[in-house]
Amino acid sequence: MTGTGATGGRDPMIQMEAIHKYFGPHHVLKGLDLRVERGTVVALMGPSGSGKSTFLRCMNRIEEPSSGIVRIDGMRINELRVDIDQVRADIGMVFQEYNLFPHLTALANITLGLVHVRGSSRREAEEVGRAALERVGLADQAGQRPPELSGGQQQRVAIARSLAMRPKVLLFDEPTSALDPEMVHEVLDTMRELAQEGMTMVVVSHELGFLREAAHRVVMMDDGRIVEEGPPDQVLGEPENERTRAFLGKLL
Amino acid sequence: MNESESPQASFLDRWRLRFGHLPWYRRYEALLLAVALWAAGGAWLLPDAGRPDLPVALAVIAWYVAWFLLVATVLVDREKPIWLKRIGSLSVLALFAWLFVRYSGTRWDRVQDQFFAFDRMDGVWEMYAQGLAVTLQLSAVAAAISLVLGLTLGVLRSLHNPVLELFIGLYVDFFRAMPLIVSMVVIFYALPFIGIRLPAFWAATLALVLMNSAYQTEIFRAGIESVTRGQSDAAAALGLSGVQTMWHIVLPQAFRTIIPPLTNNLVSLVKDTAVAYVITVPELLTNAQHAVVWKRTPTPLILSMFLYLATLIPAIHFTRWLERRSARWVAR
Repeated sequence: MTGTGATGGRDPMIQMEAIHKYFGPHHVLKGLDLRVERGTVVALMGPSGSGKSTFLRCMNRIEEPSSGIVRIDGMRINELRVDIDQVRADIGMVFQEYNLFPHLTALANITLGLVHVRGSSRREAEEVGRAALERVGLADQAGQRPPELSGGQQQRVAIARSLAMRPKVLLFDEPTSALDPEMVHEVLDTMRELAQEGMTMVVVSHELGFLREAAHRVVMMDDGRIVEEGPPDQVLGEPENERTRAFLGKLL
Repeated sequence: MNESESPQASFLDRWRLRFGHLPWYRRYEALLLAVALWAAGGAWLLPDAGRPDLPVALAVIAWYVAWFLLVATVLVDREKPIWLKRIGSLSVLALFAWLFVRYSGTRWDRVQDQFFAFDRMDGVWEMYAQGLAVTLQLSAVAAAISLVLGLTLGVLRSLHNPVLELFIGLYVDFFRAMPLIVSMVVIFYALPFIGIRLPAFWAATLALVLMNSAYQTEIFRAGIESVTRGQSDAAAALGLSGVQTMWHIVLPQAFRTIIPPLTNNLVSLVKDTAVAYVITVPELLTNAQHAVVWKRTPTPLILSMFLYLATLIPAIHFTRWLERRSARWVAR
């Protein structure tokens, strides 16, 4: 069921090959390889500054890799002739700070991409948008603006916004880190359901309970490198790498 | 305490016990004494009405400053009641007005028939209507062009392209440093010598546009940069292009920050149209000045003053209303 690193396995949805990233003189990603199979959930973990968010952001080129190859569904996307906007429409992304558009209602946040990127009619888009809100349990909040919603509700709207685009893959950048503790579970429940439905997901998260249950593979990063990867039972249960052990010790 | 409550203690003793430890400015009898001394000083030194000689004038000013300082001691004391502070502040203004009326040498009897000689204004009202029309045209045309130019340059500047940055930066610096009246005079009186002739109206428009779009570039840039990185990240992640992101996500949010300084800028633009007087554009001030010569009374100037106020005070309140309205959906 679970992938086995950069080689073999099923049909890959994301392939990252020898990714390097520099911010000025800082070498933050030091030659990373990753392969995410279709229908699997891969978790990225690591201490702050380990490069996990930057690595995730390289997958839809919100952050431009300095070198290396990014393939989504078999197609190389970091090339000049690629229409990156069309590629990104197929890759959903959920941010730590939700990043909903505060001047638009919850529903308008969702329909924006459908209308202006997918070219749907407004009516069609609203139907899809309402369905997406229903799915995350917020059908009654369609007319609210983000500042009027709780953190957990905002994050679920953000997930609905990504889902409505019918993405091939969803990227989650610490989706529960900015939430009050009592709101974490509502977001994780939604993500768990998505995983069960076979959505391909890459999740930067330290919610160990969720990862044990939903992740197929856990990737531990430190200082711009992958130090350990494998099934959650192995990496979270009996880690081989010393730095993984130290990090997990601090989490618990 | 016991002593103060005993019947033997005199009224003065009790007074001293209750208030003696306070500094002088917290003791009302000391303050009253100071006011009385100040009033006595005034009665002694204030001359009769009319313009005084320099030494006497200086003495009057010193007397006024003394009152100012006395009020200041009341104002800076946190324990003084607010009504006393209000009366103190008003008294400083009232005293100034009274001294000005008494000693400035102004011919108050002339105000009515020189500044408000409405009986001599036939024919002037039409000039006002024409002048106001030109002022409004000039404002509208200059505002429209400079908004388009300012928005364009502001958006371009927010891209942080080094080449654009250099040129737009130079443009902005140049026209923010250049006095409006100088660029207007240069465009209208100097450029014809090298063959560039613009009608007065368009020379004024050009000068206004050059200066105001430089200011507006900075206003738009600051507004755009006030929208957080996460917003454009989220828009990009949805697949919106750079132009779509700017139009649907960044600019609508930037306008919240932009509206107050931008409307301020537009109000100054309308005021600055009066500078076009120096290059003979027949706007409000020019026509008022012509009427002054024609009717031999400064009344038209006073009237034009009120016309500017009547136009712009509502505009300022409209901008306040806009600010409050746009503050409604402010994010955390």
